[in-house]
Amino acid sequence: MASVTADTPLIPTRSAAARFGVPTALAVALVLLLLLPALGLPPFFESFLYLLCLWISLATSWTIISGFTGYFSFGHGAFYGVGMYTTANLGASLPILVCLVIAAALAALLSLGMGAVIFRVRRLRGELFALLTLAMTIVVATIVLNTPIDGGPGKYLLGVQLPRIYDNSATTIYLLGACVAIGTLAITYFIQYGRLGRGLFAIADDEDVAEGLGVPSYRYKLIAFAISSAIAGVAGAVHAIFVSYVTVSETFSSTVALFVILMSVIGGMRHWLGPAIGAVFVTTINFVFVSGDSALAARIVIGLALILATLFLPEGVAGFVQKQVHKRRAASAGSTDTAPHVLVPAAPIATAPATTERPVLLKGENISLAFRGVQALDGVNFDIRQGEILGLIGPNGSGKSTLINVMNGFYKPDTGRLLFEGQDLAQMPAHRIACLGLARTFQIPRPFQHLSVLDNVMVAAMFGGAAYPQETARRKALETLDFVGLANRAGAFPSELNLHQRKFLELARALVSDARLVMLDEVLAGLTPSEITSAIAMVRRIHGGERTIVFVEHNMRAVMELTDRLIILNQGKLIAEGDPRTVMDDPAVIRAYLGTSDAES
Amino acid sequence: MLKADAVCVGYGEALALSNISFDLGPGELVAIIGPNGAGKTTLVNALARLLPIRSGGILLDGENIARLTPQQLADRGVAIIPEGRRLFTSMTVEENLELGCYRAAARAHKREGLEQAYAMFPILGERRRQISGTLSGGQQQMVAFARALMARPRLLLIDEPSLGLAPVIIKQVFETIARIHATGVSILLIEQNATKALEAAQRAYVLDCGQMIASGTPDELRQRPEIGAAYLGHGH
Amino acid sequence: MSATLFGQSVLSGIFAGSLYALMGLGMSLSWRYLRVINIAHFGLVFLAAYMTYEFAGVRGFSALAVALLLIPLFFMLGVIQQVLILRFNVNEFSSLIVTYGLAIIAEAVIQLIWSADFVRYENRALHGNVEVGTLLLPMADILLVVIAVGLCVATWAAMRFTWLGKALRAGLDNPAIAAAFGVPNQRLLLLVSGFSAALAAVAGVFVALLYTLAPSQILSWLGVVFAAVLLGGLGNPLGLLAAGMLIGVSEAITMAVTAPSWAPVVPFTILILLLVLWPQRV
Repeated sequence: MASVTADTPLIPTRSAAARFGVPTALAVALVLLLLLPALGLPPFFESFLYLLCLWISLATSWTIISGFTGYFSFGHGAFYGVGMYTTANLGASLPILVCLVIAAALAALLSLGMGAVIFRVRRLRGELFALLTLAMTIVVATIVLNTPIDGGPGKYLLGVQLPRIYDNSATTIYLLGACVAIGTLAITYFIQYGRLGRGLFAIADDEDVAEGLGVPSYRYKLIAFAISSAIAGVAGAVHAIFVSYVTVSETFSSTVALFVILMSVIGGMRHWLGPAIGAVFVTTINFVFVSGDSALAARIVIGLALILATLFLPEGVAGFVQKQVHKRRAASAGSTDTAPHVLVPAAPIATAPATTERPVLLKGENISLAFRGVQALDGVNFDIRQGEILGLIGPNGSGKSTLINVMNGFYKPDTGRLLFEGQDLAQMPAHRIACLGLARTFQIPRPFQHLSVLDNVMVAAMFGGAAYPQETARRKALETLDFVGLANRAGAFPSELNLHQRKFLELARALVSDARLVMLDEVLAGLTPSEITSAIAMVRRIHGGERTIVFVEHNMRAVMELTDRLIILNQGKLIAEGDPRTVMDDPAVIRAYLGTSDAES
Repeated sequence: MLKADAVCVGYGEALALSNISFDLGPGELVAIIGPNGAGKTTLVNALARLLPIRSGGILLDGENIARLTPQQLADRGVAIIPEGRRLFTSMTVEENLELGCYRAAARAHKREGLEQAYAMFPILGERRRQISGTLSGGQQQMVAFARALMARPRLLLIDEPSLGLAPVIIKQVFETIARIHATGVSILLIEQNATKALEAAQRAYVLDCGQMIASGTPDELRQRPEIGAAYLGHGH
Repeated sequence: MSATLFGQSVLSGIFAGSLYALMGLGMSLSWRYLRVINIAHFGLVFLAAYMTYEFAGVRGFSALAVALLLIPLFFMLGVIQQVLILRFNVNEFSSLIVTYGLAIIAEAVIQLIWSADFVRYENRALHGNVEVGTLLLPMADILLVVIAVGLCVATWAAMRFTWLGKALRAGLDNPAIAAAFGVPNQRLLLLVSGFSAALAAVAGVFVALLYTLAPSQILSWLGVVFAAVLLGGLGNPLGLLAAGMLIGVSEAITMAVTAPSWAPVVPFTILILLLVLWPQRV
């Protein structure tokens, strides 16, 4: 068995150098930007730099919600507009920094209100989010236009109190913009590599699976949306001073919403630096074209760039670079991970026979669930006992997977209770069930496609029942990958694994959080006979004599070898329960499961 | 009538089916049995042209159909009763049946076909306006049968008709298959329930791990001890 | 508010609602059956409107002849767009971004050809009004309601009763099995995209007949039409018609009671209320 040593090829996530280097680099960049005006730059150059900072802030903040979670907002302009009108109305009476705080708070409140409505919808949520954020811009614009916030003619910003850092107020505005931009980049960087970011990336790839691993998706989306909007509000609040005259038609035009999407799509939406790359590119093009008096051409170029980037560079510049780096590393590491990993079957552990005396870990009472008139589960009662391997079998369509989905919170049963240590899981959200220590695998593996194998497992370790801090999670994840024999594939992406390895990745995700009840949904389906032998040994080692396992399986050899007890479902009803030998001789079971005809039985 | 010659089908790098060969004569009822995951449904989907075939040939009345589109195959009189029914679940029973005779040659017989279908399955006549997704499993299976018959097929591919159904319904399903066979339609029956399939079929093949491992008449297969133990639940 | 004012408001709401439905119909069909959220639809509508202005208004051809020419032309454009979308395997979400890009380009091109200024097409034949009691019904609006209701009902009936409609719905439920029974899925999708674009041409002719045109207005229709499409249910022409009317009439009444500039809030308030009260509806 290979073990993780110092020379094991690791993980293209974040090297130690980057961990300390990036914050330092950002700090240096900030100091340089702040010192630039002392060189006595020409004013047009200063305003160009300011615009760069504005767009970096807007595009990067948009990415926190839309790039990281995949929920496209077409309404970033609304939050920016809220910020603009905050300064336009309060700038004369309050210090500018207080204005910025109020702008951030108002924008965040607006986004929380919107998010609370939209994120509750389950179907079409991505599309709805896009449309409602777009609609929100129009609603906010209408309200501003029709109330004293603007009232129609636009607002002049007179008497805004700016701190005097340099003599020139334009320079002060530039300094504010630079601080906001660098601050935004820093926040986004820390989000991406922190707990929040891992949760958001998982949500983007497969929201249900993320929820099942313990990511509180509703709350995380709201937090990301609020941070993103607050930054846009601050950027808008600064920009109002820059333009010094705000109108509804300019503020709420589609420009902001369009540009931030464009910049992020071009630069790459799944990386904190991507939108900034896009912002520099687009702002420069726009600056050149507009100063050359061809604003229309700029729009056409930008529209084309949007289409071409979506079709040919779907991951953006940053994503493209990341892929190239990954490819190069995989090629150089290729020599070390050629040998297929063979598992040594562990010695069978003698299982205690008297399972009925073990305490009940989870008790299902009268669980029923119907889909569109089809009774998928029909009054099912069962016990899962501490430390046993419980086989859950039945013909296809008998309700096994539905029962797993009910137990891990993906489906809410119509009736019945699921008692786990005195708590009823039946109506609990999936992420809370995961945190209580229930984990599952999927029959067809559902890895997070854009995360490396290690990151896939780390998400499970950082959320779920264990909720380890990042470094512990990384160590645990590597140990677990070693356990399932995937240690040498830690840096690979799921698309580079074969079915057998993807199944073991599912296992690793379910195991890493030290779950007390592990539900294995047809882990053996699709494996070759020799792979099945090693997988059976693996399940036995997972059990380790004490872990409770629910084992859904068609392969009768595995079922008879592994399980302590069986429950059998047929057409949503529990038709038998008990010791495997006894149950399999039950005529009702033979009829339903083995399909022997009535005449013969 | 239908002859498969060394057919290989694969997803990605792995082969799901390797070197599958079998034949089926006009008016014959041939069963392909095998355990879950043996590749049976892959075979049906490849025959129905819903999956690409990597190599090998499939001859229908001497014509190689391995590269045809599903629509072209339908025009040659092949209909499918897929695994898990796979109805058009948001449409009514009658609309499902009408889709069965979508191809030009069958459309003319729509009215006649509907009458025959409702005569064969009276319950479907009563529920012709019901959305098919809300029917029970057994009734859905009837719709799947009726839909395929509306196409007036010469060859019927039936995939796992007993799947997820109660024993009493399974009995009716096999009676229906026998009645259809009696009208002269050739049938390829793919079934996990080996006992039932062997009762119905004239000849059978055994598929396991993507390969044909045995063939013969039902009696021959039943007498082979390794087949009996592995697929018929004997000696358990 | 007097009865006449109220009646006139309801009427103008019905007229506006008809145009929402007419614009939304192509969008609703392509969203449901092609999984393409087609923002470029609005670009096509305005392209058709400007072409009507150019050929019927400036060059003096008959508006009917222009419409009859635009319909097949736009049908082809729709087919080409869908061929490209299939060719590049664009998913639902990318379609939103790609067609947004197309709409931006359409706006710029229109501005390049016809400038950013407002233009207006006056059609004499449809200039008159019909008086019913104290209410005034402009001829062009009556024609709009007839065409919009006619097209929505006809589309609904076609989806419900014809081979084509049934094959489309079957293809949506289960494309592989539909194909196994002979349904040519791909060709049907091209037909839907062509039909959607042709609907954009019809809507464009009415936009030209009824409104003053400016390139900057293209995306201002987007929000309200999307609201109607979602409220009506994707791919449901009768629902769309009802939703369009509901939005149009409530907008018109809001305008009469408060100020016209409050109107844009109405559709989204309805949409958000629907989401809060009835989240499983969409």
